[in-house]
Formats: sequence, C-alpha cells, structure tokens
Amino acid sequence: MTAVAARLGGISWTSPRTVGAFGIFLGALAFWLTLPPLHARTQALPAALGILAVAAGIWSASRGQKRVGGGAIAAGVLGIGFGLLATQSSISNLNTVVVWSALLAATLRYATPLIYAAIGGLYCERSGVINVALEGMLLTGAFFGVWAVAWASAWAGGAAWIVGVVAAALAGMVLAAIHAVWAIHFKVDQVISGMAINFLALGITGYLFILKYGQSGTPGDINTYGIPDIHIGFIAAIPFIGDIFGQLNLMIWLSFLLLIVTYLLVFRTPFGLRLRAVGEHPRAADTVGISVYKTRYIAVIASGAIAAMGGAYLSIGFVHSFNENMTNGTGFIGLAALVFGKWKPLPTWGATLLFGFSSALADRLPTAYGNQWGTLFQALPYLLTLIAVAGVIGRSIGPAAAGRPYVKQ
Amino acid sequence: MTEVQEPQGGDELLAEEAVSPPPPGGVPGSQQHFLTRVRGVYGLIGPVGTAILAFFMGGLVVLVTGSNPLRVYNAIFNGTGLNWFFHVGSYSARIPFSTHKMWFPWDTSSLAAQNLQQTLLVMTPLILTAIGFAFAFRCGLFNIGGQGQYLAGAYFAIWVGHSFANLTPVLHVLFAITAAVLAGAVFAGIAGVLKATVGAHEVVTTIMLNWIAVWVGSYLFGQGGALQNSAQPEIPISFDIADGAKLPVFWGLKLLQGLSIGIFVALAMLVVYWLLINRTTLGFEVRAVGFNPDAARYGGISVAKSYFLAMAISGAFAGLGGAMDILGWEFRLGEQDVQASQIGFIGLAVALLGRNTALGIGAASLLFGALATGTSGRQLDASIFQPDLAGNLTIIIQGLVVLFVGLNLTGALAWARRRWRRPA
Amino acid sequence: MAEAPLLELRGITKRFPGVLANDRITFDLRPGEVHALLGENGAGKSTLMNILYGLYTPDEGQIVLHGKPIDLGSTKAAIEHGIGMVHQHFMLIPVMTVAENIVLATEPRRAGVLLDVDAANRRVRELSDRYGLAVDPEARVDRITVGQQQRVEILKALYRGAEVLILDEPTAVLTPQESQELFEIIRSLKTQGKSIIFISHKLNEVLEIADRITVLRRGKTIDTIDAAGATEEGLARLMVGREVLLRVDKQAPHPGDPLLVVEHLSVIDDRGLEAVRDVSFEVRSGEIVGLAGVDANGQSELIDAIAGLRSVESGRVLIDGADVTGDTAREMLDAGLGHIPEDRHRRGLVLPFSLTENLALHEYRKAPNSKLGLLSPRRMVARARKLLEEFDVRGGTPATPAGALSGGNQQKVVIAREVDKDPKVLIAAQPTRGLDVGAIEFVHRRLVEQRDTGRAVFLVSLELEEILSLSDRILVIYEGRIVGEFPPSATEEELGFAMTGGRRHEAGGVGLTEPLGSGGTDSSVLERER
Repeated sequence: MTAVAARLGGISWTSPRTVGAFGIFLGALAFWLTLPPLHARTQALPAALGILAVAAGIWSASRGQKRVGGGAIAAGVLGIGFGLLATQSSISNLNTVVVWSALLAATLRYATPLIYAAIGGLYCERSGVINVALEGMLLTGAFFGVWAVAWASAWAGGAAWIVGVVAAALAGMVLAAIHAVWAIHFKVDQVISGMAINFLALGITGYLFILKYGQSGTPGDINTYGIPDIHIGFIAAIPFIGDIFGQLNLMIWLSFLLLIVTYLLVFRTPFGLRLRAVGEHPRAADTVGISVYKTRYIAVIASGAIAAMGGAYLSIGFVHSFNENMTNGTGFIGLAALVFGKWKPLPTWGATLLFGFSSALADRLPTAYGNQWGTLFQALPYLLTLIAVAGVIGRSIGPAAAGRPYVKQ
Repeated sequence: MTEVQEPQGGDELLAEEAVSPPPPGGVPGSQQHFLTRVRGVYGLIGPVGTAILAFFMGGLVVLVTGSNPLRVYNAIFNGTGLNWFFHVGSYSARIPFSTHKMWFPWDTSSLAAQNLQQTLLVMTPLILTAIGFAFAFRCGLFNIGGQGQYLAGAYFAIWVGHSFANLTPVLHVLFAITAAVLAGAVFAGIAGVLKATVGAHEVVTTIMLNWIAVWVGSYLFGQGGALQNSAQPEIPISFDIADGAKLPVFWGLKLLQGLSIGIFVALAMLVVYWLLINRTTLGFEVRAVGFNPDAARYGGISVAKSYFLAMAISGAFAGLGGAMDILGWEFRLGEQDVQASQIGFIGLAVALLGRNTALGIGAASLLFGALATGTSGRQLDASIFQPDLAGNLTIIIQGLVVLFVGLNLTGALAWARRRWRRPA
Repeated sequence: MAEAPLLELRGITKRFPGVLANDRITFDLRPGEVHALLGENGAGKSTLMNILYGLYTPDEGQIVLHGKPIDLGSTKAAIEHGIGMVHQHFMLIPVMTVAENIVLATEPRRAGVLLDVDAANRRVRELSDRYGLAVDPEARVDRITVGQQQRVEILKALYRGAEVLILDEPTAVLTPQESQELFEIIRSLKTQGKSIIFISHKLNEVLEIADRITVLRRGKTIDTIDAAGATEEGLARLMVGREVLLRVDKQAPHPGDPLLVVEHLSVIDDRGLEAVRDVSFEVRSGEIVGLAGVDANGQSELIDAIAGLRSVESGRVLIDGADVTGDTAREMLDAGLGHIPEDRHRRGLVLPFSLTENLALHEYRKAPNSKLGLLSPRRMVARARKLLEEFDVRGGTPATPAGALSGGNQQKVVIAREVDKDPKVLIAAQPTRGLDVGAIEFVHRRLVEQRDTGRAVFLVSLELEEILSLSDRILVIYEGRIVGEFPPSATEEELGFAMTGGRRHEAGGVGLTEPLGSGGTDSSVLERER
C-alpha cells in the first residue's frame, strides 16, 4: 500500500505527460459516456469532454510531449465524432450494437489472427528481417488448415484440427523459408520479396481453392472438425466475465500463452539476447561467434509458422470456411500492430486488441444502421490502423538492422 | 552486367570499409541499382529471363495439377489476340474517325482483333499504375497503394462522368480526367504526407488506404450507396457515365468494348514519365532522394517535399489509369468489380519487371495485359482450362515475376558460382 | 636468443577484386609483448587483423599458434584459440547493457534456459576489478563515454579468455589523455601475461607503447624492428617510402571581413539533448579556422546547424553579414556556403549517380545545368568534363557512377563541386578521412588555396595533426561548448587538455576559467587575446 502511495505521490500531476494521458482518457470517456449503459443523450457532453481532451493534448504537445499530446488530440477528435454519432442513433440501436460482453468477446476473436501475425512478425523483425509477407503467410495457413482438416477428418476424427494446425504451420514455414533465402542469402530487398510472397500465396491458395472446392466452397463439416472452443464452467458462471471468457476458442487461449512465451524467450533467455543482437548490430553478433544467418533463418521460419497458425485459427477456428483472399489485409494490420507496439510483445498485444475492437464494432454496426452504412463501417479497422501508424505514435524506431541484408566479411 | 558496382577495390577503401559504420537505413540504393539502371542489351537478359522463369514455373503448377501446360499456354495465347499479327493477308480497314477505307495487311474485325483490343485496353491502366509505382520507387518509396489510387480515380471519373451531363463532350472528358487525377494524387498524397512528416512507413499506410478505397467503393456502388444506379436499386452497380464523357473508340465497336484512345494517353504518359524522371529538375531531385536521401539533403534538396511530390505524382498516374478504364470502356463500376480488381497490384509487377524504366514498363505491360486478357472468362477456352484457375495462375506468375525480379539473376549466378568453386 | 613466438603469421596473402590487400605478410608475436603494426590507411593492417580474427580467410599462408598451424574459419574459432579483438569501430549493441554486451554468445544461465542477468553483472564486475577496467555492468552502452565503451570491448575479449589482444587503431577515438589511460591499461595487461597487437598509424604512440614494430606498406611487410632506438623519422620513411611533409606549405594569412559569424548558437541533437551550447565564433575571409575536439562533442550538430540541416534552438548564424538562421539547406547554399560533408559516401555523393549528376547536385537548378525546370544534359556533361580535368579526377568519365571511383578521387569530386560554385564560406568536415597520403596532400593544398583566394574556411577534424598544420586559428570544442582558442603554434598537449574539458591559463593558448559568453561577447574576448 505504501509503495503504491509512494508511486502515486511521485507522479507530477501537472507534468505535460500526465496531462496528455489524461486527455486521452477524456477523449475515450467522451465516447464511452454516450454508450450503454449510460446513454448520455446530450451532444454537449461528448463535445465538451472532447474539446477538453484536445486542449489537454495541445497543451501537452506544446510542452514537448508530442506523442502523448498528439494521442490526446486524436482521442478528443475521435471522441467527439463517435460521441456525436452515438447521440444521433436511437437507444435501442445502441443497445443492439454495444453489448459490452459480446463486443469484448468479438474483440478477442478478431484480435487473435492479428496477434499471431504480429508475434510472427516480431521474431522476424527482431532478427533484422522486415516481414511484409505476414498477409500471405496468414492466407496460406488459412487454406492449408482447411485443406488438412477436410483431409484428416476421415481418419483422425475429432483430432483433425491438430492436423490442420500443423499443416498450416508447415505451409507457413515453407513460404517463410523462401522469404528467408531471398532476404538472407540472396540479399534481395525485403519488401519486394515479401510482396512477392504475398502474391504467390494469393495465387496458389486461390488456384488450389478453385481446383479443389471451386464449385461448392469448402466442406460444411469444417465446423465439426475445426479447432474446438474451450468451455470453462466456473468462469462461464461469473456474470459479464463469463460472457467474455467462458467460451473461447483454444487458439485464443494459446495466443495468450504465445505472448508470455514470446516475452520470456525474447527478453529473458540467451536465445533472445542473441536474436536481438543480430537484429540490432549483426556484425557485433558475428564477431562474438553468433551465426547471423542461422539466427535469422530460425526467426523468419518461426515467424511463418506462427503467422500461419493465426491463419488456421481464422479458417478452422473462427469462420469455418475458406475463401479467396479471405484475410483482407489482416496480416498488414498485424504488422501495423507490431509497429504500433514498438516491437514489444505486450504493447503489441494492446494494439491488436484496439484494432480487434474496431473490427468487432464494424461487424456489429450494420445490425443497427443497415447494410448500406455497414459497408462503410468495414473501413473502420483500416482507418484506425492508418491513424495509429501515422499520427499517434510518431516515429517508432525498430530494430536498427531491420531491412538490411548482412554481408559476411 | 552494367549495373553500378558498390565501391570495391582501391585499397584505401578496404580500410575504409572497416572505418565507416553501416549507414542507418540501408546501403544507399543497393537494391535500386539493378531495378532502374540497366543499359544496353545486357539489360534485357534479366527481365526476359525472369519472365521465362516465371512462366516456366507457372507451367509446372499447371502440370502438377493435371493439365498440359503447353495447351493451356496456347489457349491463353490465342485469347490474347497476339496471334492476330500472324494472320497476314489482304484486307481493307476503315481509317479511324472517318468513313474512308484503305488497304491493310491484317483483318481488323476478326475475333483475334477483338481480343487484341481487349489486351490493349487492359494494357492502358497497367501502364499508368506501373508508372505510378515506378515514380515513387525512383524516390525510394514502395507505393503499393496503386490499387487504391486507381480506384479513387475511377470513383471520381464516375461521379463527374455521371453528373455535369450538360457539359460539352471534350470539356466533360477533360473535367472527369482532371478530377480523377487529382483524386489519385490526393489519395496517395496522404501516404506521402505521413511519410514526410511523421515517417510512417508507406507500405503499411498505402495498404490501409487500399482497403479504405475498396470499402468506400463498396458503399458507393452497393445497395443504397451514393453513386448506385437508382433506376435499379437492387443491383449494386453505379450510374453509367454520360455519353459525352466517354472516350472516342478508334478501333472496334463501342458496344463491344472497342479500343479507345486511352491507350495513346497511356503511351504518351510513358514519354512524360521518361521526361519527368530524366530531364527535369524534379526528376533529378526524386532520383537523388531515392538513391541517397542523406546526400540529397546535403545538396539542399528537401527530402520531405520530394517524398510528398513523388507520392502525389505517383497517385496522379494511377488515378489517370482509373479514369481511362471508366471513360474508355467500363462506363460504370459494380461492388463486385471494386472488390475483385487487381490492376494496381499487376501494375506493381509490371513496373518491377520493366525495371521502372519507360521502355521496360511499355513492354512488361503488354505481357501482363495479354496475360490478363488471355486468362479472362471471355477469352479463354473453358474446355481447355478453367478461367478461374487461369486467373489465379496469373497471380502466381505475377508473384514469381516479383520474386525473381528482386533476385538479381546475375548476382545469384555469381553466388552459386562462388559456392561451387569453394565448397565450404 | 629471442623467445619462441606465441603466434606466427607466415606468408599471408589476401586478394580482393582488383586489389592485393596482403602480399605474403610475415609477422610474429612473442608472449607478453606489445607488438605494433604500423602502416598508412590502406596498407593492409585491418585486413591482416581480420584474417587473424577469422573474419576473412587468407588466400595463401599459414597461421601458427604455439608452434602448431591452426585454421581460423570463423571468429568463433579465433575466440576459442584465445584471440580477442577490439575493433576500431566498436562491435557493441547500443541498446543493450554493458554486461549483456560482454556475455553475449557465452551467457550464464539460470535453470538451464533463462538468462542469468545477476551472474552476468557479477562476473563483469569481477573481471573489471581484476584488470582495473572500471565500468558499470548495468549501464546501457549508448549512455557511457567512448573511453568506457572501449573498456567494454577489452573486457569482452578478456571474458572470452583472450591471451592475444588485437587493438585496431584504439586511440583514433580517444583524446591524448584518454590514450594515456589506455596505455596504462595495456601495460597492466602486459604484466598479467597478455600479448597485444597494437595497430596504429601514429608514430609517437607506437614508439611509446610498443616493444617491437612491424611496418606494412602497400600490403607488404617492410620490416620488423625493436622500438628501442627507433625514431619517428625512420619509421615515417619505412611507412610511406619517402620523406613525409608533416607541415603544409602556406603563407601567412591575410584575414579580412568576417564571412561566417556564429552567435550564441545552441542546437539539440536527435535524442533531444543540448549538443551545441551557446557557441560563438567567426571565420574571416582569408583564414582557416580549425575546430578540434574528440568525436561526438557536438561537431556534427554544429556543422549541420550552420548548413541548415538541423534546426537552431537559439542563437544566430550569419553568412557575409546576412542572417541565415533557420534557413533551409538550399537557402544556405545559395547564400554562399560550400560544404564538404564528413562522410562522402553517405552525405557527399549519390554513389549510383554519374559524376555529371554528382557535380550538379547543388547547382542542377541553375543555368547552364537547367532552364525552367528542364535539365540540359549536354551542358551538364560539358561542365563536368571541365571540372574533372581541373581537379584532376582520375578513373572516370562524366558518365561513370561515383561509386566506381577510389576514395581520393571521390573526395576530389566533392571538392570540385563545392569550390566551383564560388562559395564565401567553405566548411570542410574531416575532409581527409580514409584517404592516402597523396590525396591528403591534394586536399590540404586545395583548402589553403581556397583560403588564399579570400574565402573563409572552417575546418573540422578529429586529427590534431591536420588541425595544427592547416589552421590559422584553432577552436576547441568540448561537450558542445567552445572551451578555448589557440594559435597554430599550440602543442598537441595543450589542445588535448582543452579537448578533455581541462581549463587553465597557459602561455600561448587562451585559457578560460569560465565558459565563454559569460563576460562580454565572445569575439571581443578572442580579439583581445589575439
């Protein structure tokens, strides 16, 4: 207790940083107050709070806290915008859309492929190889997950999903291996080779999909054989919490595990130290006898496996089917989350939740506003990602050697 | 190869190699050398080899999945209309925009001629989106937002082309083109501003902008959308543009998607691109920034301004591509078209295969325009190969082209030779 | 009579495309000795040491350790054989701690898998106590001084059990005083039985610290001699192959009006720290003012601010009387600034551009290079041809890409460009870095020539010798402040003392007991002292 009090006492309440953070909070509050269960109906409230947030942001930014201040300004403007929109809609509409437990559960579902993509990207980029091929890796995982489950359901029965996940990971690794050879050995521009991988993944999955399922679409029993949900009785019994965590897909729980393991591996083990060394200053790593190439190969191929597992979740754990180009830029949003999270596991996770929330919201909005506007809301996750990457975070500095091929002496 | 060598040799440089720390942000222009600077016949070997390799491997995919690649490629080729040139004879052809006829060695109204018109129609936006990619690339930017910029141009072409129907035709066309060009420029300019001011990576921002364009389009032309044709509220397709906004067709019939003069606009833009890059101070700045932003800054060039201008000009070309498609032959867009369009991405492959040079883009766009036409449902003989499959084959080939074009073929050979000589 | 050598290099040959970097080099190291490897830039020292450290594989020749030939295919093998190297440019990861850098690749573990940070810190502390190399194991490397970073590098090698230590130009980044501290460390390592290879091109240092000296020239071993009895002149002759001009021929200066005036300039660096603090000075027409200082004491930020490449926090910059503070780089250049940047590869040249284009890098917007935004290639080439001839650039035509030239010729291109536009003020930042003697002489001659035609030359260099031989006045910068002004007759010791922040009254030098600017304007203080 005293420790907490001491810490709180240590915060300077008028420092630009604190004020900026408070501005961000105000901006969020402006929106939140207009939503269920509070339903503030007056437009003055979000407007006033939003303006306060913007003012706090400007004050903070003008005193050197550009990032936090910018964040507060953005939060204020968004808070006003969304707050006013919410006051325009009827309470019943709002109640349909904003069911917090359902919205948060959907957030987790939408965030999960992003987490796998972003964590995959984390290994890759921490080792100094830029990975814009996450999209293609997700897509490949999604296709081969479905394909393997359909194939294995006959003989593996209820365990077919394991075959699916493994097959997806393997397919992702093959794809990543190409990226690795191109980026590491052939020293090709990593963005170009990444884009090539994306095209290849799109073409190959589309080709095989048409060839195999072209007429009828993917089999309907993916639902039965897909990755199971985990039902936890005692959690499900808790009100509100239970609605969110009571029934979640196994891959969502695994994604939490992946986060923890990644944090430990990258920041608490010798392997992680070497991985980061290779990404920051490969020559220094080389001079103490670390194999730069080997480390990068491991990291890139692991990233393919992890991202592809996210794809498998998407196809055999979430929507239970496959369609051409079904990832719709998810891999790129994952990459943006990684940049937003400054290449650190926990902030990256936060970013995926933010983007996941916007997808969940976009998904639910049409139910209240009709399909016409609903289509437009589909752009929300991309818009939010754009704003996040652009304004709020400012220049995010990644691993120093990212994107640069290592030339051995 | 005639590409620029990284400095090597001169023994003081060897010492210096150890002296100077690795420059942050990459060895200046290390990748861009061979993607932009190739002179003479040797310059052809890489791209041609790349294309052959890509088609060969695409053929392997076809073979493995149980079709005969030679038959498939032959069917695709017949769909492209390029076989038209092989049927030489004695025909008469109408001189465009007149009623006079003259002797001509090829039959201008055969099926192959119609296919060729389609190929050239597809080639038009490919050239323009490829220039869009290439211009930014010359400035060191990887603009994969060509798709979104193309769409933004198309939307504005539809809006202007549908509204203002009482304008005189020439004015109407010019107005629609201007609007589309500006729309593309502004749309790409967003990414340019973000790159120039806060350093947001253009790959991420342009991809996000692509999706925003797609969903905005889906809304615009979807049921109840702002530009949806209100005469048929249940069909998610836009208004048609007014007749006065359509480009003149000079070969084939307007009703059968004849070839509009858009192709000449695109070809002219290749010249403009070449001039802009090689003969203007703006192009000089763009290239200097692309090769080495640090040195450009020391030379008094504003890097941020160059980034913004390069992106905006890039988007202007792509937006023009959108306008040419709408005003030249599409006349309307459906929600489906918006979702399925890949023109911007093919344009990227075209630019890379053409090494971002004007001539190269011209040649590569013919290749990809033909490929896209030859694999489309209308042209490809479905009894030989399913057009849906062929469409994906195009994407695979596109991916292989980008994969191998990034790979400096001669560099890879040198590497292989080194390996072979000294088995470590 | 001689002890059996610990390490021998026999007939080492290494070729690079177009260059014979090492030509049958022979070298031996006895246990517990300091053996200096002396040679000019480009003599093949670094290549040889990279071979010894397993970074390069020799094309021919043998490495013999303890009488047995060994094969060094990798740095790992070198480390296992007890060979450690301190690279001239440190192989340290800035964002990691001292201890993390030292234990990297041989980390202590906890529970088999986790990194044992405590053990790492403890071991580093033990090691630094044992060898008297004080560093804080938990400090981040980018937050400690260059001298400390060097100690980390030495500890890195010792941690790996190095018996042979290669120090590659270790004093290049140090002040004379820090160098003395390093020599103390080297002596103490020697008494603990370590053998040291000391690479340098500085004669006095080599004579001070080495037991034996091997001289390399153009990739060949010239001679190995005992340090006792050797002289600087003799070594210089061995090293260069002819008598060396240690001083530049020049007339007395005729300073005129001040062309570059800097008043109370403060500049913030990339990390948001004040890198240049209240700096004031002026450079007059017809004089060379040298700025001496240890690397990273604000020189780069100062130049960037003067050249319009970095925003000015406070203060003014005047070129020929016109206030150009806050102007863009282009406006500065147009106002009459010429700038030879410190790193010609990164900043001076666009390597893939042709020489024509590089020579027009500032002037491309002006006639005859362009008109109304359109370039005139033919006129650009004609101008380039003229300049290449005038400045004796060899190895390239106007169409040759700059990257294909040798370093000396590249620098000539930069100088040609900067001088041709007839600047009022010429800033030369480390203009001779990495050049051979011939090219250095050329650059020096040109700089003096610029002075004599009435330009104001501002020379920034890390080489005290260069500063001393070229400058008419010398300013010393330390932690972003100008801490003293000296005449060219000052000694290296005086300068070195000021460069480390020491302040005292000295005969001949302007001793300052308090920072400049606190009493009266700086220039007036400087005037009085002159």
